Amino acid sequence: MVDVDRYISEHKAWQEKFDALAPKVGDVASDFKLCDVNGENCVSLSDFRGRKPVALIFGSYT
Amino acid sequence: MSLRDLYAKYHNQVQFLLIYIREAHPIGGWWLGGDIAQQRLKAAGLKAVTDVYDPKTIEERRAVAGRCDTALQYGIRTYVDEMDDAVSQTYAAMPTRLYLVGLDGRVVYAGGLGPFGFEPTELGTAIDECIAQVGGAPA
Repeated sequence: MVDVDRYISEHKAWQEKFDALAPKVGDVASDFKLCDVNGENCVSLSDFRGRKPVALIFGSYT
Repeated sequence: MSLRDLYAKYHNQVQFLLIYIREAHPIGGWWLGGDIAQQRLKAAGLKAVTDVYDPKTIEERRAVAGRCDTALQYGIRTYVDEMDDAVSQTYAAMPTRLYLVGLDGRVVYAGGLGPFGFEPTELGTAIDECIAQVGGAPA
């Protein structure tokens, strides 16, 4: 049986911890480098500075 | 407005990065359930699934991300967060979140915490405002 209350509590704690540190409007967005689903075509957020605004869409499959 | 709509409307003016992060509801974790939950997701028009285990290696994570990418068909290339969840933590992105970063590298829109703060329409408004500020006409 999934302990939903425990997961909700842990999830809220995670969000509160990291949201306090996450960039806000006006902050410089922290740079990162990630690769695609094949481990190829890696990009850095900073690659687009001065070229295009960047929309970041975070999510998973479940 | 859906993410698909946003991409279709703005992809020439905005770089879209779809970032796959740690699974929110994997089997063995905060699992939503089996067939009945899957049917409910489908009935709600969602493409999320209920048959995924939490990937333990980057290869497994990339495989699930690829499956997700194929199913969603946003047309946006999917990038995969590393197993230390560094980018997800930096942006407090679990389980889902939206940001817009301007030409100067500063955040111009920080969406609310997911899942309830996930508002593609807000992102669309932010894109319109951002494009107008840099001198381009909204698409």
